[in-house]
Amino acid sequence: MTTTPDTTWENWAQTATDPLNAMGKPEALDGVVVMDLSRGNIGGMVCSSILSEFGAEVIRLESPEGDPARGFTPYGQMHEGVGLGYLVEARNKHHITLRLESSEGQSIFRRLVRHADIVIETFAPGVLDSWGLAYAQLRQLNPRLIWAAQSTYGHFGPRASTPIADYDITDQALSGLTYFNGERVDPEQPHPCQVPTKAGSWLAWYVGGVWSAFGVLAALLFRNASGEGQLVDVSPPEGLARFLDFNLTWYHAAGQIRERIGSLDATVFPYTFVRCKDGYTFLAGFSDTSFARLAHIMGRPELAVDPRFDSVAKRTTLETAAELMVELEAWTARFTAEEILNQVQRDPGTAPVVTGRVNTPLETFQEENWWVRGALQRVDDPMYGEVVVQGPPWKMSETPPRIKWLCRPVGHDNERIYLQYLGLGTSQLHDLRARGII
Amino acid sequence: MLSELSKPANGTVDQGFTMQCLLDQPEPLRGVRVVELGTLVLGPAAASFLAEFGAEVVKVELPPAGDTMRYITPGEFWQEGSLGFLPVNHNKLHVGLDVHRVEGQTVFKQLVARADVVIENLKAGAMERKFGLGYRQLREVNPSLIYLANTGFGQWGPFSSGRASYDALAQAASGFAAISHFPGRPPLKTNTFIGDWTGACLSATAVLMALFYRQRTGRGQFIDYAQSEGLIRLLDWTWAFVGINGRDRAPAGNQDVAMSPAAIFLSRDGSVAVAAPLDPEFRALCRAMGQPELADDVRFCNQEARLVEENLASLHEIVGGWVASRMTDEVVQAGQDCGFAAARVMCSRDHYLDEHLQARGAVWRFEDPVYGDAVEYGPVPKMSASPGRLRWTARPVGFDNDYVFGTLLGLDARRISQLEADGAIRTWGDRPGARPPSGWRGEGMLLKRSGR
Repeated sequence: MTTTPDTTWENWAQTATDPLNAMGKPEALDGVVVMDLSRGNIGGMVCSSILSEFGAEVIRLESPEGDPARGFTPYGQMHEGVGLGYLVEARNKHHITLRLESSEGQSIFRRLVRHADIVIETFAPGVLDSWGLAYAQLRQLNPRLIWAAQSTYGHFGPRASTPIADYDITDQALSGLTYFNGERVDPEQPHPCQVPTKAGSWLAWYVGGVWSAFGVLAALLFRNASGEGQLVDVSPPEGLARFLDFNLTWYHAAGQIRERIGSLDATVFPYTFVRCKDGYTFLAGFSDTSFARLAHIMGRPELAVDPRFDSVAKRTTLETAAELMVELEAWTARFTAEEILNQVQRDPGTAPVVTGRVNTPLETFQEENWWVRGALQRVDDPMYGEVVVQGPPWKMSETPPRIKWLCRPVGHDNERIYLQYLGLGTSQLHDLRARGII
Repeated sequence: MLSELSKPANGTVDQGFTMQCLLDQPEPLRGVRVVELGTLVLGPAAASFLAEFGAEVVKVELPPAGDTMRYITPGEFWQEGSLGFLPVNHNKLHVGLDVHRVEGQTVFKQLVARADVVIENLKAGAMERKFGLGYRQLREVNPSLIYLANTGFGQWGPFSSGRASYDALAQAASGFAAISHFPGRPPLKTNTFIGDWTGACLSATAVLMALFYRQRTGRGQFIDYAQSEGLIRLLDWTWAFVGINGRDRAPAGNQDVAMSPAAIFLSRDGSVAVAAPLDPEFRALCRAMGQPELADDVRFCNQEARLVEENLASLHEIVGGWVASRMTDEVVQAGQDCGFAAARVMCSRDHYLDEHLQARGAVWRFEDPVYGDAVEYGPVPKMSASPGRLRWTARPVGFDNDYVFGTLLGLDARRISQLEADGAIRTWGDRPGARPPSGWRGEGMLLKRSGR
């Protein structure tokens, strides 16, 4: 028999997973050592961020001049000498320097790699080989090593040797998302913005980093079983392509290319953004029962039986959807997003009708919910001061992820890491520094 | 498979990683059993990613209609199946089990007792309140269980109750939509279920973390994942920018305002992305544009100068003007020859026909027992010693009832008949989306009992 719990589910879940209680709990990746060699690439750093949030010791290895990614920042804005893009993904990482291009730097890296469980790198295939530091050349030193490589075209296949750096914008273009994302071409009102449109954030880089973390974890589990490390090869555009619903399947099944249709939808409608009194809001009620409920809430019950709109197939036809859009906006334009939400919540119906305001980041920033949940956190870093960053998105009862510190300057942890792993003392480090190796 | 790795082959491992030898390698999640009670994308795709790497996923659907995603398809059904449903459900065992019924709940618990992971994406708390199958009940039958609950806004907190959620609501609430369009234009719904898919991947990664921890300690745990918070996590420098400046991040269309130059431009015959943020790359781009002197222009001569707002805009126009006068292929080739990144905007047909993506199994062709010749996006991380794979795509409701209830759980024929008579165990309803293709003759059923 099932026991009846004495607290509500919500209370139990909050007590068990509130990030405020994280610090006293164990970490899933405690003891796992990661070397992150990403250069000029935030995607690789997303992978190491995730591993670090779960407790791995992540060592960022930069060239002595510092990673050029420290300068990837909106309109050139720097915070205490570091760009905002880097600042956000430097969390929990130790920062050391090493000149991989020099033979001495290479031999030091060969020593370091014996201590690592995981290496993350984002060089174009071939670059590390020329320094004698590719996985193929290092795996004998550490057969348990897991090597995560992120590159635009991946490490095998006909285009693998294309010598281009891996950037978010090129990854987004190749992914297939950009092609069908954006405003629909309107022959009557053409506009220069009716073109394939990218996602605003570094979506492909981040998606690549998440997939690498997934692959690294699968490799760690396999290593537990086999004792064997391996190469994990991730191409960010392939990672984002996997997220494109029926994009490829539709072409295979029907020869149909998925095209740009603005905020309309080929499979579910209404399921779109609509103009309202104070901006835009999302509005959905796409099954027949949901649409009937929405029509009722709108005070337009006849729409549900209107022969233009009375089936899913009709509503998802683009021309019909555009007509229905006019009806929806005639209603929504009279209310604020909040008023629309209230009307939906007051309605006693049960079929899903879903709505909510399209928030700007500043509006999202001002909502209490995200702070209560730890999705946004104000981190007080001893070197970078108080900065708001996004927290780990998972709430976990036993091994909650966490942010410990934000960032460190170039080479900040040289002394500690080189002493800990290679036993290098002060005078040896001084010597290496004098010769520009670290 | 990685024999070629012992000799550095120009940085690539071409011959080692073929689709042929891939199937002879073990899978990393072999032996991990997952029970999924999910609908649409957020829960099912998380389970699909685990199944692609060898986990045995039992997908529980409410018969006879099953998962709502079975009816979400662009235009037509394909061989009675939904094109939206297939990519979300790879390599799974599909059972039709009515957990509204007490008998169905009992069988569900028997499944969970034999499982490592439960994945669900019902409304917060519904598993407990509606079915008595929440984490607190299930850990009684399986104390080391890992339980993943995926929702729009989480299991607790101000938005956790009373607010239904869909992918595009997460896009709206997180700020993702408001930065993903051109300035002065209406916000755009990103036209894939991006919060669902990214959420599925992020939450599946947490399951792997929990499995790793369980191998060391024997302890399971509860995981609360909210897809809106996943999108917030993916918005790069947005929150630091808003927090430090106290003002909004504005949408910037096809321009990346944190690197310069980096944007998607119209060429003479399409769209092409160009990025040359580092000084050597920018010098290469200037050479390709036939304007080498720009690299020494005080406005553009280093990474910092190029990001100053006015310079960012001027450079965007200059590069855009050059791209507009060129064919896409010329721009891409110039990038490779000179040393900057350029790539065309690819569509589904480009992917489908691309030899590179085929060779990598990113575009994966396989013979499905139910649907025949099938092509889907393949498992994403390419792993040299324990690769993922597609073995079959989604199946009709209750397709694997006999195997899962008879063979795996070992329920005897009389018990199964009784459960069927009670309506606790059922198969597909006779409608497109739920049922097999019309010409199907029983192929792919793991065990067929007489009388079906």
